[in-house]
Amino acid sequence: MGIVIAVISGKGGVGKTTATANVGLGIALNEKKCIVVDFDIGQRNLDMILGLENRVVYDLVQVMDGEAKIKQALIRSKVSENLHFLAASQTKDKSVLTSEKVKALIDELKDEYDYVLLDAPAGIESGFEHTIEFADKAIVVVNPEVSSIRDADRAIGILDAKSQKVKDGEEVDKFLVVNRINAEMVQSGEMLRSDDILDILNIKLLGKVPEDRGVIDASNQGKPVVLDNKSMAGQAYTRIAGRICGQDIVMKDIESGDSGVFKKLAGMFR
Amino acid sequence: MRNRQYSVKVFETAVEDEMKFIEFFDTHYMLFKDHLILIKGEMSETIHKYLEEKPYKFLNNTLLPIGRSRKALEEELKIGEPEINADEHLALQEELKALKTESGVNQQIAEVEIDKVKNEIKELSKKLANNFMVLDTIIRSGRELKVEGDLLLLNRVNSGATIYTTGNLIITQVVEGALRCDGNFMMITVSPKANIIFNGVEVDNSLLENKLNRIELKDREIFITPVIKKEINWAS
Repeated sequence: MGIVIAVISGKGGVGKTTATANVGLGIALNEKKCIVVDFDIGQRNLDMILGLENRVVYDLVQVMDGEAKIKQALIRSKVSENLHFLAASQTKDKSVLTSEKVKALIDELKDEYDYVLLDAPAGIESGFEHTIEFADKAIVVVNPEVSSIRDADRAIGILDAKSQKVKDGEEVDKFLVVNRINAEMVQSGEMLRSDDILDILNIKLLGKVPEDRGVIDASNQGKPVVLDNKSMAGQAYTRIAGRICGQDIVMKDIESGDSGVFKKLAGMFR
Repeated sequence: MRNRQYSVKVFETAVEDEMKFIEFFDTHYMLFKDHLILIKGEMSETIHKYLEEKPYKFLNNTLLPIGRSRKALEEELKIGEPEINADEHLALQEELKALKTESGVNQQIAEVEIDKVKNEIKELSKKLANNFMVLDTIIRSGRELKVEGDLLLLNRVNSGATIYTTGNLIITQVVEGALRCDGNFMMITVSPKANIIFNGVEVDNSLLENKLNRIELKDREIFITPVIKKEINWAS
């Protein structure tokens, strides 16, 4: 039986879809069967970041409505045969989702895969609620800025109130990924520290991802940055995927000045 | 019309020996200066003058309404409670059965009535008994926590959350959300991002300085006192 992980953020544009793609691919590279599902109905993006946009034939909504079999809709990644992808519909909107349909789909995927990653839409309305409804765990992606943290806090509140697991009296484990950390700005006090974010949100830390120029280029090319061993962000996502797969990986300090971008820059001028 | 309710501390006494009386009130001035002195029986001119000069607030031979404790109120409710006893309830049912064997509908109605009264009483006593709440959950953004009564919160209040209490409020961790407290006092830590409205008045949170602060209402004025380790408090 697989584990269903919802990737949520509350606020848009913090790197939720990028994180889903990279973590999913990272898990697959760890020899685990993983599927990433784009739940952002009407605004699908995950296919582009995975470089699979021209392969989408059937989407999530068509599978849920029985217009296509799940096997027909699944797209295998070009990079790893352990990674599959299920696209969101670009033409319909979030109102087509219902609890029964979502549950049936997730149950089917859970039987097949070790990890089911759900990329939640931004915001906290019905699309978001359906994504978190049947999740076992959640990855909360934030940027080190107050607006992102407040929105994430609200999203966690809704997760704790509306998920099926909570209604059954259990708890949904929540893990924090701090994305786009700029070591220089953290040092100068312009950017929030991860410790402060953890204090506010009161959940476990899964990983810290530094700001990296390579991420945008990787997304544009459809080759997730996790494939780039030299990239700081890529390495961070590799560590995160490893932790999800049960490896004990020490948290790397990317916030102090002597590592990360700072060191890289210093190295360039030496 | 603007109203305000107060609880006043009353010290009831009688004058037996004038010298001793004056000596007693001289030495214990700090203790009784905020009390209302109620003197039963005769009171001489000297005592009257002494109390006025000191100054003490006092009344002579006045019957004051004495407030009842919560327990007393609960007791009173219990007296008015019909058939709470299971045996008696059963007996009543039997009686009803005997009276109205032919019409089961009436019996049902009677039962519904009894249950209704019982529930009402239960709700009322719940309100009296449970108006102190202790919570150790993080209050996340978007949550509105409404408490009828007092609240002790042992966790954070995050930005975008609101807490309403009709009673007193104590929060031991940082508050970044909004607080609306209508109680007699609040105790909160330094919280520069909080929005605090205490009895309809916004509290300036730059005045919160020590680790824990007591905010209280005295004579329509809000007092903010940083709580120090050893506090000398005469009047309580």
